[in-house]
Amino acid sequence: MSDILLQTEDVTYAYSRKGPKVLDHMSISIGKGVKTAILGSNGAGKSTLFSVLNALYKPESGVVRYKGEPLSYRHKGKIKMRSEVSILFQNPNDMVFKPYVEQDVAYGPENMKLPKDEVEARVSEALFAVGMERYRKSPIMKLSYGQRKRITLAGVLAMKPSVLIMDEPTAGLDPQMAYEVMEIAEQLHKTGVTVIMSSHDTDLTYAWADEIRVLNSAKCVYSGLPEPFYSDYSLVQKSGLLTPSVFKMNAAMADLGKCSLEPYPRTQTQMSVKIANKGRDFGTLYVIKTDKETDAGTVIENEGLKGLHTGLYGMSARIARNSFGFDADFLYNGPENCTMKCLSGTDSVLICDPLMLDKAVSSANFINDNGYGKIDIKVI
Amino acid sequence: MEMDELSYSSRMVNWSPLGKLFFVMALLIVGLITDSIVVPLITFTIGVALMAYSTNLKVPLILGLAILEAILIMVLGSGMISIMGDHSAPAIWEGKILWFDIYMTEESFNKAWLIFFRAVAGVTLMLAFACSTPIPHLAQAFRSLHFPSEITELIVLVYRYAFLLLEKFLVMIDAAQCRLGYNGTMTTMRSYGGAMAGTFIFSMELADKSEAALACRNYNGYFPIFRPPKSMSWAWAVVSIGLAVLLYFVGEYTKGWINMVQLFAPLFGW
Amino acid sequence: MVELFRMEDVTFAHNPSLPPVLNGFNLSIEEGSRTAILGANGAGKTTLFYTLTGVYKPQQGQVLFKGSPVEYTKEGLRNLRSDVAVVLQNPDEQIFCSLVEEDVAFGPLNLGVDRDEVEERVTKALRDVRMSEYARRPLQQLSGGQRKRVAIAGALAMHPKILIMDEPTAGLDPQASMEVMEMAERLRLSGVTVMISTHDIDIVYKWASISDVLNSGRIEFSGNSEEFYSDPERVYRCGLLTPTVFNMNLDVSFINGIDPSPYPRNCCEFTAKFSGASRSGTIHCIPAGEEDALAKYEAAIADCRDVDVGVYGSNSRYALRDSRVNFRFDAMDACFTDAVRGRDSVLIYDSVFEPLIKEQAARLKEFGFDTSLEGCR
Repeated sequence: MSDILLQTEDVTYAYSRKGPKVLDHMSISIGKGVKTAILGSNGAGKSTLFSVLNALYKPESGVVRYKGEPLSYRHKGKIKMRSEVSILFQNPNDMVFKPYVEQDVAYGPENMKLPKDEVEARVSEALFAVGMERYRKSPIMKLSYGQRKRITLAGVLAMKPSVLIMDEPTAGLDPQMAYEVMEIAEQLHKTGVTVIMSSHDTDLTYAWADEIRVLNSAKCVYSGLPEPFYSDYSLVQKSGLLTPSVFKMNAAMADLGKCSLEPYPRTQTQMSVKIANKGRDFGTLYVIKTDKETDAGTVIENEGLKGLHTGLYGMSARIARNSFGFDADFLYNGPENCTMKCLSGTDSVLICDPLMLDKAVSSANFINDNGYGKIDIKVI
Repeated sequence: MEMDELSYSSRMVNWSPLGKLFFVMALLIVGLITDSIVVPLITFTIGVALMAYSTNLKVPLILGLAILEAILIMVLGSGMISIMGDHSAPAIWEGKILWFDIYMTEESFNKAWLIFFRAVAGVTLMLAFACSTPIPHLAQAFRSLHFPSEITELIVLVYRYAFLLLEKFLVMIDAAQCRLGYNGTMTTMRSYGGAMAGTFIFSMELADKSEAALACRNYNGYFPIFRPPKSMSWAWAVVSIGLAVLLYFVGEYTKGWINMVQLFAPLFGW
Repeated sequence: MVELFRMEDVTFAHNPSLPPVLNGFNLSIEEGSRTAILGANGAGKTTLFYTLTGVYKPQQGQVLFKGSPVEYTKEGLRNLRSDVAVVLQNPDEQIFCSLVEEDVAFGPLNLGVDRDEVEERVTKALRDVRMSEYARRPLQQLSGGQRKRVAIAGALAMHPKILIMDEPTAGLDPQASMEVMEMAERLRLSGVTVMISTHDIDIVYKWASISDVLNSGRIEFSGNSEEFYSDPERVYRCGLLTPTVFNMNLDVSFINGIDPSPYPRNCCEFTAKFSGASRSGTIHCIPAGEEDALAKYEAAIADCRDVDVGVYGSNSRYALRDSRVNFRFDAMDACFTDAVRGRDSVLIYDSVFEPLIKEQAARLKEFGFDTSLEGCR
């Protein structure tokens, strides 16, 4: 049971005195290190909730607590809190402050009064994490919407918060970039940041989140694991949402006796194996633990794995790729793609950040542990 | 809160914009040509009454602040006039404050009050007009007066975008907080500067995108009006001119009725 | 099939010094078709749409509308735009007037439509997007999703022959997204050609069988969606992904040693293919309109008590807004999945959607599943 990091107790908020309540006696708690997805239809109150959690808006009634203490709305108190809790708005154009990429990413750390070389280092790291290091000197005006979104994410990453709240981080992004953002969210989680995300992308959040909070008409109607929520179809509908496709198919197949309802699959590969013939031997998944100094290309050669499809996953793996110049076939959604390759009978290689190892092999473990087949996992 | 939102919810929104304008101008002019202070007092009352009716007594904060600011300026202006009296007349107050020579005569004091009320009446009347007439209606009124369409459209576009950009600026100011933009004075200044730069950039991009988007909808250079406001009827002209003439005569009749000096005499011991 | 649009070798750059955004572009759009334009950000989709409405004139190549080249004169453009309407991704970039009805009227008024007719069109357009109560409201008071609907109404009021929507589901919650796709289908069934560009691969895979894929200013692929997705390297190069259902189909088919074809596109087809179910539940099809949907609903549930009820189509949905409905969105897929599971269901829909039901039943037959439909002519 993790500690409660951020919570609202009976919070009410309306934009104008006689206006409708956007948050109505809402009590929500977010656990430390728990990947939480906030779901709800448009107008349910998600963005307002974030603004309240970040002390941008003060609730009319109720208390907002961070680490157990009520938020201080005094200047110094807000500054202190915001150096630990960062929020990423949906529209990047609302967050861009400087004309050049480098300057804008440095904005946050500079405001934190960090020394110049520290700021430089953080900017580099952040730009790298979002894959925009090439655009360091570009004017922001020349960037597309998706690129700007990545820049604002870099700006927030550079502040190294302990809690990151993201409002629709994948909206408007290319499918591949959306997966990269989810990878960053996972990486942050592994480094100890509590990530809270609101999204309309049902499938992506289902694969990622530990817990969900569902908002509907200014109230929180569900708090907990995703599966019980999605099993209650009328509640899902009333909240303006739809069930993830994988969940729907699992339910349909289980109903027809093709598989058991549990364990619940969260990704495509997990669902596929559940309904396929069991017990086959699939390909082998080679996982190369790659930190910043590892030349995965050489490792692949040495281990005789050349010629296999490769996937990339995690920050250090990407940094290594940049330094050493080896390439990979799957630059996004590495683990799933590699697992899919194994399912089709061929071996594959996953170049992975050691921190992300657990998540990387989660689908493969799902397959092995539940007896759907065998994927040999070899960690190098 | 956008100005148009206020005017669309006004009770006077469906009155003829030209009519309202004519009425307001007539009252302003008569206030300027009479010397009696009674007339501006009356027009001021009419202005306040109209504003109250239009907004149903729910004056938004920003409007209230604008009115107060205008009043403050007028107080200062009138004050200046009152102390620069004609040295040929006897002074009711003479003195020196800092480097100002004060010479207040009966005439200058009265004159100052007259000017103050004329100005305040002007402000309230114009505001009553502005808060009850949305910009598209005003544009339509100008068009019917055969104002050059370029100027009218320019006014409309500038108005629209000013509010849009202001809204954008405010959003960015908020966003700055989340990146600790107010952590110290220098930082705060940089944040405001950055927000302004960001708004400027946004405006350029919006202009580009809007141009294309307007073209898709076959924009012809002017905004067509869907529900045209009422055009000015003879009733408006009659009422406005009639009232102005009446007030003129009232002004002539009540010249010198109210002597502000006499009113204030007990207070200042004149 | 009448060809509505034809672009031949179109090249367009914003500025002579910049690289062209559209480069040797070829495209053909048939009347009454569903066209899905896929492509990463920056591939040139928005430029393509603006070229189709005559906002951008290509430097090379030509754009043919209804067989004749587009005339870039005032008259010519007015004619073009009375047939072609675009809804952009971000409604804030497209909405210009203070009040909702003013904005919806903007397009038709600019086209010189008679004022009385404009009023009719505005009323109908607002009703179609379910924004009638908001007609005289200022636009600032509306949420993002509502503004999007107003933008769509604005395009509908132009009575276009072809409606182009740029990322219509972006930023919308899942149910609103379904509603938009439903509206696109309804338009198509009433004769409007619909063209959608989107990133939502799963939604578009369900909707269109043919995709046009843009990559760096040219059409990289035009044709059968499955053919495109079967080449993962090309999909990847174009910055896209393969749909979930497609991937799962490939995996399971391979493991079980069966043919990936026929390719299931949605949940019911997937279930039909892999569950081996043979006994179909019955779908009681009830075509309805706004006025009689409620009555028909009550008659239906009086007969079948424990059965799932689905509603498809905004008119029926509105009529049944206060009633107990199991599948308020995506009902067609849900009811057909029920049928595959051997369960009975009731499907109440706007009568215009009848062809879709027949289409879905026909496709299920390809998977060897005979759906039992009742009440469907």
